Amino acid sequence: MAEPNQTGSLQVRNVSKLFGTFKAVNDISLDIRKGEFLTLLGPSGSGKTTLLMMIAGFLDISEGDIALDEASIANVPAEKRNFGMVFQGYALFPHMTVRDNIGYALSVRKRPAAEITARVDEMLELVQLQEFADRKPAQLSGGQQQRVALARALCFAPPVLLLDEPLGALDKKLRVEVQEQLKDIHRRVGTTFIYVTHDQEEALSMSDRIVIMRDGAIEQVGTPKELYERPINQFTAGFLGKSNFIQHNGKTFALRPEKIDLRASASHPDARLSGTVRSVTYFGSMQRVIVDASDGTEIEVDIDVWRNSETLREGDAVDLLWTDDAAVELQMG
Amino acid sequence: MPALTRHIHPGWLIIAPLLVLVMALYLGPILNILWLSVTDPEPGFGNYAKLGESDALIRIVWTTVRICIITTLFSVTLGYSIAYAMVHCHQRQKNYMLTLLLVSFWISILVRTFSWLMLLGRKGLVNVTLEDIGLIAEPIAFMRNELGVLIGMIHYMIPYAVLPLLVSMQSLDMRVMDASRNLGASGSQTFWRIYLPLTTPGIVASTLLVFILSLGFYVTPAVLGGGKVLMVAEYISVQLLVTLKWGTAAMLAAIMLMGVLAMLWVMSRFMKLSTVFGGAAR
Amino acid sequence: MHDKQFMKETLQDSAHAYKEGRMDRRTFLALCGASGVALNAVLAGDAEAAADHVVMWNWGGQSEECHGSAIGDAFTASTGKGLKFDTSGPLEGKIKEMVDSGNVTADVADADLFNAVSLGPTGHLEPIDYSVVSKDKTLPGYALEHGVSVILYGYAFVYDTEAYGDNPPQNWADFFDTAKFPGMRSLYKWANGSLEAALMADGVAGDALYPLDMDRALAKITSIKDNSLYWGSGSEAHSMVVNGEVSMGMVWQNRGRNIENDTDGRYKLVNNQALAMPGAYIVPKGNPAGAAVMQFIATAQEVPAQLALLDCLGMTPSNPAAFGQIPDDQQDYAITSAKNIDKIVYNDPDWWGKNGGDAVNAFLEAIS
Repeated sequence: MAEPNQTGSLQVRNVSKLFGTFKAVNDISLDIRKGEFLTLLGPSGSGKTTLLMMIAGFLDISEGDIALDEASIANVPAEKRNFGMVFQGYALFPHMTVRDNIGYALSVRKRPAAEITARVDEMLELVQLQEFADRKPAQLSGGQQQRVALARALCFAPPVLLLDEPLGALDKKLRVEVQEQLKDIHRRVGTTFIYVTHDQEEALSMSDRIVIMRDGAIEQVGTPKELYERPINQFTAGFLGKSNFIQHNGKTFALRPEKIDLRASASHPDARLSGTVRSVTYFGSMQRVIVDASDGTEIEVDIDVWRNSETLREGDAVDLLWTDDAAVELQMG
Repeated sequence: MPALTRHIHPGWLIIAPLLVLVMALYLGPILNILWLSVTDPEPGFGNYAKLGESDALIRIVWTTVRICIITTLFSVTLGYSIAYAMVHCHQRQKNYMLTLLLVSFWISILVRTFSWLMLLGRKGLVNVTLEDIGLIAEPIAFMRNELGVLIGMIHYMIPYAVLPLLVSMQSLDMRVMDASRNLGASGSQTFWRIYLPLTTPGIVASTLLVFILSLGFYVTPAVLGGGKVLMVAEYISVQLLVTLKWGTAAMLAAIMLMGVLAMLWVMSRFMKLSTVFGGAAR
Repeated sequence: MHDKQFMKETLQDSAHAYKEGRMDRRTFLALCGASGVALNAVLAGDAEAAADHVVMWNWGGQSEECHGSAIGDAFTASTGKGLKFDTSGPLEGKIKEMVDSGNVTADVADADLFNAVSLGPTGHLEPIDYSVVSKDKTLPGYALEHGVSVILYGYAFVYDTEAYGDNPPQNWADFFDTAKFPGMRSLYKWANGSLEAALMADGVAGDALYPLDMDRALAKITSIKDNSLYWGSGSEAHSMVVNGEVSMGMVWQNRGRNIENDTDGRYKLVNNQALAMPGAYIVPKGNPAGAAVMQFIATAQEVPAQLALLDCLGMTPSNPAAFGQIPDDQQDYAITSAKNIDKIVYNDPDWWGKNGGDAVNAFLEAIS
């Protein structure tokens, strides 16, 4: 099922977008590799959707350049870029059947009817919607609509697929399921996916690489593991997963809650900090303990229930332990 | 009583007096017209038989239908462009356009009709100017003929055509248009394959409104037609007020009513009328 | 003071409208509220006044003022009763509807004499009381059972002196001759006058018009159809001429002087072969003021009223006693003046009353 894509790498060079005097995107440079699943992650207002819209061609670039396989596409109109896109809310054509929606891109390219039929059948199979081909979008569930949108965007074998918060309208349980399907489809078609979301779990579970954005600029780029293990600043560490921030010798360190060990007895020789348990919350696979540390900070600790059979109670005196590489030194900001 | 309320929503009881009133004030006169058309001057279908016997009546009905169709065609087409421009221009310009549209709503039909005479009449501004600069030797007959009636009616009907279209276009999800472009469709492909089909309910509403209003037009054809363009509404009025042939008038009114109902029925075969009149699409 | 008078009239008109169901209660109450008048006072005052005045149903415009000064003042002086107006235009269908509905609000209608012929026998009109109204104060044949002619108006024509300067059109034959007198024409849309003019143009003698030969008349009308416009109201006839849309236009003779003035004499009135139409006062059956209205009609027949109507509206006297007193400046325009009376022809209300409906339809069908 993999598409014979010879193209699909994108180069974003010093791109800015101005709305009046407001810089929605500020001097971003980014290399997107062919076939990778790249996620633009950030809170609302971080400029991730604006960047996506510039890549799609719906917004003009104020400064800088965007290139597909090193050839500038800044002046290519949206309809000539051949990028697939899955819109927020899907933007399906409500007056057309599922089949006509999916075949639209080939139909406007005036491909032979037989070719369109064959290709649409292939797509229907890819997204498992064969028996819904003749329905209208309004007769489908949210998850099914999402799959139609995906099939429609992939039908003409675009080198790049842009996804703008495609799971935003689905409920939590369905979202996890669809994430799996999306990742599977990405593997099978081999198209470059550029995925915009504000949901960190989505980003972590699906992406090859994540771009964390804030205020129109890139904070950090890396694989999910790199970003999780080696956040470079407090924003990244806090946005992607949970983190405690420890001050030591005038420096700030990020410390993930699950990388801290708790000992009930006081005055442990390797103890980094000591404190008192404020609360214990049971989550099944783990329990979350909030500790008021002796230096006045509040530390969050996740401990595996099965490894710590001793029962912690509120008010217990505890020591906190961690290994040297567990604490990551952060840049300021 | 409980058995009754089980089948009838109690809300009906509350609006029942109003319903009865509407029936009495609305259905009553309509039934009266239908009754009159088969009883005046004598009982029977003599009035309806006249349609078959009189070429003139057929001609008047045909003139009316022809003028209404052409008026509707032009009003809705022009109205569509105007509504499109309004929806897709800047808010400021949109407000200007909406104001102009509403102002023309408020100007009386007589004033508008006579303004056309001043502008396009034999000695009107346009003809005089064209003659002065030597483009034409004889004035162009814009007015006092069917062309004049059409100009006047289309001008009057455009605001009515615009409003349902405006509503329809404003409720469109523009991301669907983006999706079409993204999938490689050119501007005109997007328009013909997506935009136009999605605004069809607005077009139908606009067409029905303009056509039905046009059927009742009286002043404009009477003045701008120079007396030679006789439409059903004016003919009915003459039968009522001057020649006292109320049976003929009632017959023609009934025919028009049936025509409109038949049109609505045909439309309802193709689409849910509730979507045309602003109801939910599903 | 004037404002108060206006307010009172407005409210009383509204009271009428409200009673007749033409105005809804809320609007009416709002009007009362706005003027600080209690609802009961207006309704009661109006009811009380009903017997005190005669309501004249006319066509509005200048006629309201002129009927008041020419007839109303003298009527009030002799009877003590006032004169009020309904200016909605007493078309035959409206009179029939008013009487049929049983809600008669007008006492006398400024109508055509042929209306008396068509509406009288069907029971829609009160007979004229010829013990009060005089048969001698109108032209012979124009005092009918259900209506009496009070004024005359004529179907005449005006022509463009610049178009036909040296050889002006003289009669209807010239009017219909578009070869000899090229240019556009205008005719009356509702057939009156147009049919008679066509027959005279075709060679029928003025005293042998009736019964009208419809086929012959319509053939003549349609022969110049491409060069003709048709008007439905006096003001439309006026504007077609004044705006230069036609070179010759049929007009009501009483408009002739205004047209000559408005075009600085470029258009000139021709009263030769003018068709005299008997304008008549008719009384809707069951009129509210009862017999008192006959006194009003009698007042309108008197010479002073006749001359005042001529002066104010350009309507020509129908009382022969007034013919000799038509002033010099009206000699050209009044069709019964010494200058014109031998050149005019007379409408037959009987033919029109019996055949008018069919004639109008045949005419409309021919021109459309």
